[in-house]
Amino acid sequence: MKEGVVFTLFLIALTSACDTINQLFLKSAINSLTAPSGNILKIAKFIFKLILIPRVWISFLFSIISLCIWLFVLSRADLSFAFSADSMHYVFIAVASRFVLKERVSFRRWLGIVFIIIGITIISFT
Amino acid sequence: MIKKRLTLKILIFLIFSDILETLTHLLFKKGALTQDHLDINTVSAGLTFLGGVFSSPFLWLGLVSVLCTFIIWSAILSKIDLSVAVPIASFSYILIPLSSALFLGESVSLFRWIGVIFILVGVFFVSLSTKESEVSLR
Repeated sequence: MKEGVVFTLFLIALTSACDTINQLFLKSAINSLTAPSGNILKIAKFIFKLILIPRVWISFLFSIISLCIWLFVLSRADLSFAFSADSMHYVFIAVASRFVLKERVSFRRWLGIVFIIIGITIISFT
Repeated sequence: MIKKRLTLKILIFLIFSDILETLTHLLFKKGALTQDHLDINTVSAGLTFLGGVFSSPFLWLGLVSVLCTFIIWSAILSKIDLSVAVPIASFSYILIPLSSALFLGESVSLFRWIGVIFILVGVFFVSLSTKESEVSLR
């Protein structure tokens, strides 16, 4: 592993964690409303109700933090490396879905997660 | 709720959203490269860096691209299931290293491509789903 890769991976983990928190808050806010169906008017009303929920603003705040850290990452790492390593958010989201949202995560998903972890490990050594 | 099958029109939209996502990250990278990244070890150096990046037009073009991707993605998801859309959208895991090599002059080794393939297979497994109940928000 090249010098600095560990720190870059740490920063990528940080953006992924912020992304995950962002998704969890958004999902939990969306879950508190009934999903819209059909026309654009109903969807617009749904989005309007959604942005009034404070959790959506927390989610938005985390996506801004995530963007700022991502810019630090891009200033120091190859895009081809950083974007691939950012796939670790799939790992975080699956773990958080299982333990925070109490969703069922299938065997195939866990298998996919193992593949992603192997992939990130390989690119970290290049 | 059963949604419509993948049509050529939706596929074109999906490829377009992949290209837009790639463009977003190329623009962000370009924006980040406008600033000197060395010696960011204090908060004020970090803020100076961010201030510089946020005053770069590349970053704002990138954000416009994010907004466009979001709108197209929402339109796609109103037509097909997330479990169909995500595996096709993960084409950007190939597109980004490819365009990094082409437009940013990065060298992408065979070893790195192997890692990318592993990630791609992983993302496929994670996102492919037949049950609507298993579909979660991206």
